[in-house]
Amino acid sequence: MGRLLHVEDLNIEFHDHLIPETVVFDFDLDMDEGEIVGLVGESGSGKSMSALAIAGLLSRHDMKKRGTIRFGETDILGCPRSELRGLQGDEICMIFQEPLTSLNPVKKIGWQVEESLRIHTKMTPEERKERALKILEDVELEDPARVYDSYPHELSGGMRQRVMIAAATIGNPRLLIADEPTTALDVTVQSQIVDLLKKINREKKTAILFISHDLSLVSRLCERVLVMKGGYVVESGPVKEIFENPKEEYTKKLIAAIPKMNDDMVPIKANDKMIEVKDVCVSFTRKKGKTKERVDVLKNVSIDVKEGEILGLVGESGCGKSTLARTIIGLQKPDSGTITQKYPNTQMIFQDPYGSLNPAKTVGFIMEEPLRNLTDMSSEDRRKLAEEMIVNVGLTSEYLDRLPSELSGGQRQRVCIAAALMLKPKLIIADEPVSALDVTIQAEVLKLMRELHDRMGISFLFISHDLRVVHQMCDRVMVMRSGVIVEEGERDEIYAHPKHEYTKELLKSAGISFEE
Amino acid sequence: MRYIVKKILSCIITLFIVSLLVFAAFALIPGDPALSRLGTNATESALTALRHQMGLDQPMPVRYIKWLAGVLRGDFGMSYSYSMSVTSMIADKLPITLTLMIYSMVLMVIISVPLGVYASYKEGTVIDKIIQITNQIVMAIPPFFSGILITLLFGVTLKMFTPGGFVSLNRDPVRFFGFMFFPALAIALPKSAMVLNLLYSSLNGEKKKDYVRTAYSRGNKSKTVFFSHMLKNASIPTITFLGMALADMIAGSIIIEQVFGIPGLGRILLTSIQNRDYPVVIAIIMLIACVVIISNLLVDIIYRLVDPRVE
Repeated sequence: MGRLLHVEDLNIEFHDHLIPETVVFDFDLDMDEGEIVGLVGESGSGKSMSALAIAGLLSRHDMKKRGTIRFGETDILGCPRSELRGLQGDEICMIFQEPLTSLNPVKKIGWQVEESLRIHTKMTPEERKERALKILEDVELEDPARVYDSYPHELSGGMRQRVMIAAATIGNPRLLIADEPTTALDVTVQSQIVDLLKKINREKKTAILFISHDLSLVSRLCERVLVMKGGYVVESGPVKEIFENPKEEYTKKLIAAIPKMNDDMVPIKANDKMIEVKDVCVSFTRKKGKTKERVDVLKNVSIDVKEGEILGLVGESGCGKSTLARTIIGLQKPDSGTITQKYPNTQMIFQDPYGSLNPAKTVGFIMEEPLRNLTDMSSEDRRKLAEEMIVNVGLTSEYLDRLPSELSGGQRQRVCIAAALMLKPKLIIADEPVSALDVTIQAEVLKLMRELHDRMGISFLFISHDLRVVHQMCDRVMVMRSGVIVEEGERDEIYAHPKHEYTKELLKSAGISFEE
Repeated sequence: MRYIVKKILSCIITLFIVSLLVFAAFALIPGDPALSRLGTNATESALTALRHQMGLDQPMPVRYIKWLAGVLRGDFGMSYSYSMSVTSMIADKLPITLTLMIYSMVLMVIISVPLGVYASYKEGTVIDKIIQITNQIVMAIPPFFSGILITLLFGVTLKMFTPGGFVSLNRDPVRFFGFMFFPALAIALPKSAMVLNLLYSSLNGEKKKDYVRTAYSRGNKSKTVFFSHMLKNASIPTITFLGMALADMIAGSIIIEQVFGIPGLGRILLTSIQNRDYPVVIAIIMLIACVVIISNLLVDIIYRLVDPRVE
């Protein structure tokens, strides 16, 4: 097979501040026709910048690029934009992380899927439509004719990403660059998208540069992988080799951060129920055109959280996990059913540590807020408690005077946990607490929660869509689907001998093996 | 279609409520129209007779229903100060004010949209900076003052029109539109500056959106990305503002009519407020409410055409 892409000594510098900042150093990459290469690293490692440069999309004035990028016979960095345009959308295509914002909201799907053909070929509108319907079918979308006439907001996340893939592959490109294409999607959808990319590679011989922070996904799809950190490629080679025998510290850390199926679990201490949820139903009414439609979000859900345990609640987005959490904490009134709590002050931690903290208030103010509202503690005592709690989550008391914007994502989630600890709760409900964080930081936050559980005896209701994380954290697991608990049991029992079809499907998508 | 019918129905209900409120408000204002018409020296019997003639001796609900029945037939009652029907007083003034309003609206769109699009397309260049600075200055000038400046510059100095030399549409359409251009410009200028600013910043905001990057990744020319991807998205907030501006323009017209000596609704409104000629004031308020409601309706309809996400 011929050489498709040759990148040598690529350096990318930002010039928007007084001192230029280099974000990519001496990046080298060779790809053959039809090859799949993975590019792994955390946010800010320079992987997306390198990919955009290869696609010829880094054309800002405040950016300097040095080195060579050769695609076939074309020198990407040296050629004029008109020549670059000839390749973009025709031979090099890209799909992006967030399929909703990456599609134009006011244009129909058909128009957007056909765009490359409109620009690069002389096809008639009828021929284009025929091709578009065919490609929508190829990416396994049901009812392509309906999708063709839809707008992006009318489709689900997974469907939108399929549309993006359809639009990117309609012209049979030689290179497809996929920049975190599955990060914004549910686990089962993630695995379908990876399978789809595999199929495209096999059938159309399209080379794929797959960018991700998720090593386990990369290992399923790619033959070769590059690991990036701080703008440098720290390690590269065949996926198998890197997995089995990582040389660099950072790669080892990345691999270690993939939640493992280990057995270092503390056994359940007691059987006293601290929260008992009985036959809870919650429904919303949604306006659909002229008629109002009742949506049952929780259907007769009964769960207990026992004292001292970490209970995992697994399910895809939209299954009702978050509504259940909100109902337990009292933010949502149940239509029927009862919730009995043994202890007061159950606290909650949310998914997005960026959105959950008021950007205009200091960390100390945010942490003291529940005490100010619910107790008559003096301000000195409040401050003292805040100092104690912030140390508990592994930060120092200096952080109390900082603003959330001065903290990293991991530090913010620590602050959220510290704020939850202020009322000395016996139970914390954590709703996808690590989904928005990078893998290595994910591991640290999970470790912290584990420590709080062991040291302070706090129970957790741990909500997540990530089966590996749940396996690592929890003693007992419940699986939820469309507002119903479909399976529940001890962790090892569920992971080794799942009974419900849906649990099996979830485990398969996450690449976890079990006995049928 | 169903939506539009529903929307129109709700507009009619709104108008009905407005009419009720306005009528009640004027009925409750202290002061006796009969007294103010005849003067303090009038005899009690003369006053009673006039009150009876004007219908003021009937209870408010009855007067309202009678008035409403008249309005539905296009009859707004009799003016207190002049012995003529309100409808005939307003009939020949209304087209003048409406023309002025629509004229300014058209000018506003013609001035602001191309300039806003052009400035954003050329973002960061000298021409962009010039447009921005001029825009800031124009935005700060209120319409009555720009009216005075325009009269001074185009009327007195350049002699392009005769200040105060209004010609009616029936007599000479060419001269009518020629004259009206200047007051319309005075109303349109500050509003155009606002529209320009809004369009400019929403276009610049769109440039950073993900779908724009997608569009470039497919090999689009910058021009195509700008005009066929971004413009429609950026126009959505601008449409909302255009609707508010249209509603505001009728108020602008009333002031500008005074500056340019145009015999439109503005002049009648001012004199009838001074004379406590309530039937005329109420009629004009109802007309203004009508214009505001219709322009909101138009915005709603255009919104649905442009943004598929609106349910």
